[in-house]
Amino acid sequence: MRQELTKGFLKRNPVFVLMVGLCPTLATTTSMNNALAMGVAATAVLVCSNVFVSLVRNFIPKGVRIPCYIVIIASFVTIVEMLMKYFLPLAVSEKLSIFIPLIVVNCIILYRAEDFASKNGVMVSLLDGIGMGGGFTGALLLIAAIRETTGNGTVFGLKFWPAYEPAAVMTLAPGAFIVMGLLLALFKWRSLRKIRAATLTARAEPQVGTEEVTA
Amino acid sequence: MRLLLGILDRVRPIFEDGGKLRPMKPVFDATENFFYAPSARTQNAPHIRDPLDLKRFMSMVIIGLAPCVVAAFYFFGLRMLAMIVVSYAAGGAVEMLFAVVRKEEINEGFLVTGLIFPLILPPGLPLWIVAVGVAFGVLVGKEIFGGTGRNPFNPALVGRCFLVLGYPGVMSATYIVPGSGPLGRLTEYVGVEAMTRATPLAEAKQGVVAPIADLFWGNVTGSAGETAAIAIIVGGVFLVLTRVANWRTVAGIIGSFTVLGLVLHYARPDDFAPVGWHLLAGGLLFGAFFMATDPVTSPITNGGKWAYAVIIGAATLLIRNLTGYVEGMMFAILLGNIAAPVLDDVAVRLRLRRLQHEG
Repeated sequence: MRQELTKGFLKRNPVFVLMVGLCPTLATTTSMNNALAMGVAATAVLVCSNVFVSLVRNFIPKGVRIPCYIVIIASFVTIVEMLMKYFLPLAVSEKLSIFIPLIVVNCIILYRAEDFASKNGVMVSLLDGIGMGGGFTGALLLIAAIRETTGNGTVFGLKFWPAYEPAAVMTLAPGAFIVMGLLLALFKWRSLRKIRAATLTARAEPQVGTEEVTA
Repeated sequence: MRLLLGILDRVRPIFEDGGKLRPMKPVFDATENFFYAPSARTQNAPHIRDPLDLKRFMSMVIIGLAPCVVAAFYFFGLRMLAMIVVSYAAGGAVEMLFAVVRKEEINEGFLVTGLIFPLILPPGLPLWIVAVGVAFGVLVGKEIFGGTGRNPFNPALVGRCFLVLGYPGVMSATYIVPGSGPLGRLTEYVGVEAMTRATPLAEAKQGVVAPIADLFWGNVTGSAGETAAIAIIVGGVFLVLTRVANWRTVAGIIGSFTVLGLVLHYARPDDFAPVGWHLLAGGLLFGAFFMATDPVTSPITNGGKWAYAVIIGAATLLIRNLTGYVEGMMFAILLGNIAAPVLDDVAVRLRLRRLQHEG
């Protein structure tokens, strides 16, 4: 149970490990405000759709399941979009305008519906949604934090070091790719190191036993 | 010199296996190799004894750059020294970090990058921006692709590209007016407060055309090493004659630039400035001789080299005359670098097909 909640953050992080939902990741991480709004919106849709898909999973005919998921997800996206337009400051909701409706086709949400919620119970699907959404939001915030501090000299829009001269390129498209690439490399390096350590210990242990067999 | 050898021999055990500073061995090796030829011999075949090894190759480029460095010192003063020191220190720190982590030797390749980088920057650029640019260039342009010899892009140009996109305002406002007289600015250290002026290429867009003689002798504003065409030609011809720079790349860039420039100038004289003036202005010559000829990032095959050079020459001309950017050499070389592996592949395939037909 607990694993379903925590796996989304590091071990199977949707952005850095599964590499899904990269388009909104690159586009909305220009500032931490945008990243947080996008992450929370996607998480809300993901949790709701996971729970709902899991509830109706036994009534959906196999052949038309994808259209059904899309309809479910689209309904929740519409609700979230209306709520955001009402409650959020105009600057944020305008900046995110096109990306909120596009949550409908966000790979993470469809992927979790197809791969997890349609096969598992309601409670587990809820935890999975929270974990994956949290991982997505965390990844967005991490990228946005690097881009906003280096490219704009601010954190959540607040200037923290007046003497710093920001490098404009980091908030532009190339900056998104550079930061994304470096972070992906970091995650890959970490997992490769783990695999290497595991194979080393696996190779070191059975040697006592195999010696007799080969001899 | 005896004394130095004694010191090196005495501290050697600390860096060998089991010594206290084993992780810092690359640093020790680099220091030793800088002063003395390594005494290690190869144990197994191949025993390659190429007279032109990587180190000598890089030394030749340094010698070829010498006239440009002298010209930069003359026109822009002692500030150049500070920029070169900062470039070597910041880039070298990144290089050293990766060498220690990878347990490899420090490569000589950085000697050239560290010297070229200040030469392609505006001479009045704040030193911390120089450091940021060179660190970015070495890290993203070279090290994350696997280090010297594996980089798809010219590291110095990656660093400059980052600065142009990252600090466009600072970059275009720090072109110091060059010194004149017998000593130039050789005895001065001019900082950010110095008088600056737009480069000839930027002024040409407003209709102010610098005299060709000034472009030739270097008495114009511009990136530190690119202003004096005469110095670049002297150093560049030396590199071509010693076969460190491939003549095909240089001839292809200048040739395609000239031909296309002539044609377009006569077709539409309003949009395209005379080609002779354009040849000497900006970074075209410096890029053609010193940056596009980088053996790592240019194609290996001769056919590939010609195509690569034509892409760079044509792209430079078009970017300069038809876009908002006044100088296109940097983007053109980076474009050429992207195309280089594909051009090599095409050249090899064409060759194979011809051989098959001949049977």
